[in-house]
Amino acid sequence: MAAYTLKVNNKDYTVDVDSDTPLLWVLRDELKLYGTKYGCGIAQCGACTIHINKLPIRSCCFPISKLEGKSIITIEGLSENGDHPVQVAWEEIDVPQCGYCQTGQIMTASSLLERKPNPSDADIDRAMKGNICRCGTYPRIKKAIKEASKQIAS
Amino acid sequence: MIRTSRRNFLKVTTLAGGGLMMSISAPGLANLLGSNSIDLAEINSYLTIDTKGNIVFLLTKHEMGQGSGTGLPMILADELGADWNKLSIKRSDYDSKFTSTEMGTTGGSSTIRKMWDILRNAGATAREMLKQTAANQWNVDSSELLVENNFVINPENDARLEFGVLASAASKLEVPESVELKKPKDFVYIGKPVKNLITHDVVIGKANYGINTDIEGMVYASIEKCPVYKGKLKSFDDSEARKVKGVIDILEVTNVKAENASLHVQDGVAVIANSTWSAFKARKRLKIEWNFENRNSNSLSNLKETFTKNESEELEPRYMNGNLDAVKKLEGHEVYSASYDNPYEAHALMEPINATAHYKGDSCEVWVGTQSGQRATKAVSDVIGLPVEKVTTHVLNSGGSFGRRYYVDSSMEAAYLSKKLNKPVKLTWSREDEIAHDYFHPFQRSLHSAVISQDKKIVGWETKMLRTDDYASGAELYEIPYYFPNVKTSWKQIESIVHTGAWRSVSEHSSCLGRESFIDELAIKLGENPVDFRLGLLDKEIKLSDFKIADDLSGEALERQKAFAERIRFYRSLLQDRYVAILKSIKEKQWLDEPTSKNKGVGLAIESFGRTVCAHVVNITMDDRTVNGFTVDRVRGIVHCGTVVNPHFGTGQIEGSIIYALSALQYGGIEVEEGRVMRSNFHDNKLLRIDETPDIEVQFIPSNEAPSGLGEPGTPPLAPAVLNAIFNASGIRVRKIPVLKKDLVLKSAQVS
Repeated sequence: MAAYTLKVNNKDYTVDVDSDTPLLWVLRDELKLYGTKYGCGIAQCGACTIHINKLPIRSCCFPISKLEGKSIITIEGLSENGDHPVQVAWEEIDVPQCGYCQTGQIMTASSLLERKPNPSDADIDRAMKGNICRCGTYPRIKKAIKEASKQIAS
Repeated sequence: MIRTSRRNFLKVTTLAGGGLMMSISAPGLANLLGSNSIDLAEINSYLTIDTKGNIVFLLTKHEMGQGSGTGLPMILADELGADWNKLSIKRSDYDSKFTSTEMGTTGGSSTIRKMWDILRNAGATAREMLKQTAANQWNVDSSELLVENNFVINPENDARLEFGVLASAASKLEVPESVELKKPKDFVYIGKPVKNLITHDVVIGKANYGINTDIEGMVYASIEKCPVYKGKLKSFDDSEARKVKGVIDILEVTNVKAENASLHVQDGVAVIANSTWSAFKARKRLKIEWNFENRNSNSLSNLKETFTKNESEELEPRYMNGNLDAVKKLEGHEVYSASYDNPYEAHALMEPINATAHYKGDSCEVWVGTQSGQRATKAVSDVIGLPVEKVTTHVLNSGGSFGRRYYVDSSMEAAYLSKKLNKPVKLTWSREDEIAHDYFHPFQRSLHSAVISQDKKIVGWETKMLRTDDYASGAELYEIPYYFPNVKTSWKQIESIVHTGAWRSVSEHSSCLGRESFIDELAIKLGENPVDFRLGLLDKEIKLSDFKIADDLSGEALERQKAFAERIRFYRSLLQDRYVAILKSIKEKQWLDEPTSKNKGVGLAIESFGRTVCAHVVNITMDDRTVNGFTVDRVRGIVHCGTVVNPHFGTGQIEGSIIYALSALQYGGIEVEEGRVMRSNFHDNKLLRIDETPDIEVQFIPSNEAPSGLGEPGTPPLAPAVLNAIFNASGIRVRKIPVLKKDLVLKSAQVS
């Protein structure tokens, strides 16, 4: 094992893990940041989405050894008081059913709006199709992204 | 006025520190584990109101995305006259006092349905006691007072007393024998889109799930399971696996059994490590020899051959009305037959299966998202050899369930490992484990025949069902919402090659595919409109005298047929109005009559689940540039479920069911070769994604009747509605799911 330093939600951490350990398991098992979810381990479902340098990344396939010097934001650090426009819109539209995939959905959506504050339906489909929701909240996710877009514009 | 009698049902005492505590006890709520006295089955602190007016509701039902943790307290709060913002829920550990049906198990779309009366009575009783307390203080008649937002109000002088001020004194009053329930027009929360109480925690990443369990001193486990169902562990070499950093121990998982034999734990080898990743990684380095006991010759194609061989076998009839065999042979009568296949389906819930257990020698704690704390507790007690009273199951929210978490295999495994290691163990299944070792939706083949008379009437109906699971005993009920004068049903269980279990909407999903497709085929064959054709089969009230039981039956066989007739008449009487209301509404809206252009089609199917009836009207486009050869463009659902407690959740459940069923229709079906499940993760067990989701519109038939359940009823009618729409667009009749491009080839015989 080797020691790795990483910056998560603007806080520095040192962890002692194998170089191939995916960021997901460092966040969950070492840092106890349980908002980032394990879903598939092969970047197929998006439940583990976090931001690295503002881009949405599937943390289940991102090894710790490639993180040196990068700034990681997880759902716990997306906003100080849970009031990021996407989080507010998610509450306003009351999107979740079981809620398990939603932190990943929110991280992907917030990154989309960072790049495209006023996305079209096609933009939303393209950005969000990597995130699975087995409960089928897709219609509400779409609504909430549009609502967040409105909030950002105003 | 609605009155109710609830002898021994509610008990009210003073809360420690002041306030009111309501407990529920009744013989009807008694536990099924057999270790407690039925008379003493009392659930303490079901509802408490402290001196500040804070209300705490004890949630005994599992929250898995269906909104039970918000829907249930809404019912209570409405009758109580509570301020929603002063109410919170407390999640209850499983208590062996909880019964299977009301408290200890969550499933069958029954949560709201079964708790409706209990919660309304509890809320109304507490309300009346608070009112009486205020009335005593003001020296007025309690019936003159109003209750609103945690206050008892005297409308004469606008005097107001808060619940908190009244609660202690109220707790000393006698519990009234009967109370008046609210009229639906006075509901404040019921029928409103109250926000889900879990949402805030979800969006900030703090919602708790079984997989987030974190116990002091716990180790992490992952099990390499035998890839062939019911295969056995022969031997293993763990020398390479032990070299992986973080590995603590490696041990075999064999012979893990509960008294309930349907709870199967697959043989395997467990890696215990200091992180989930280390355990996952080390598993790959195990060298294991299995004894497949010839089950590695099982395959889906062999299973289908077995089904085909059984098609022609004469089975003992289950339900018979009239004389089907005789009308089949009548001169000029045509027998029309078709068969439909439902494959194995995986649950693929988002939160992989997991459980954490801490065996402490004389007791054991389990942390798990489960639909049945009762089954988990009992199975764990069997595995570790402690009485159920010594097992505490902490039921956590789960990330989707759909029937899967009714099976408690992971709790058994975690408890087994914790006992072996004598420390807390957190077990996490990988996604690959979850897909390969699911309790799959059973494989079913439905064979339907209709006897058509010379004057083009359906005079006979036959269903033969072959299924790899034994829960088809009530199949005759699901098969016959429509009345035919001559009926014969039969079924046979075919030995399964993978483990099977409950999958959202259970047997209704499998049975609806065949029945509603076949009804559509018959309507087309007779040149009738699919809505009118169905209405024609529902147009008369069925009396027991309409059932014609064969003359030659006697004894047990006769009694059985009489019982079937009574059950069918009973269900029919409950459901008929709902079927008719929905079909007439579809007809009025002309959803099926809308002009469709080339390559476009519309299809209908309708099904009941319990007392809830749901129909979907689906619009599709044939498009061979797409993966499946068609796209589902629009789904319109109409549901009759009595009162909709929370329309936002209700709509969400139907939308979700449609999307769930569409995944099965487009990508479902588990392939099995050499005894192994040939899917492993979301790349090959595909689920519908946001860009494939059709426009969905959900409507509810307005009703003040008691709620009848919404978690599952939206699933069954989706697939047959799509198959019917595909026929409408293309003249191609597909009689199975999933629908693949290669199934969409026009065979000349199919053109009607």
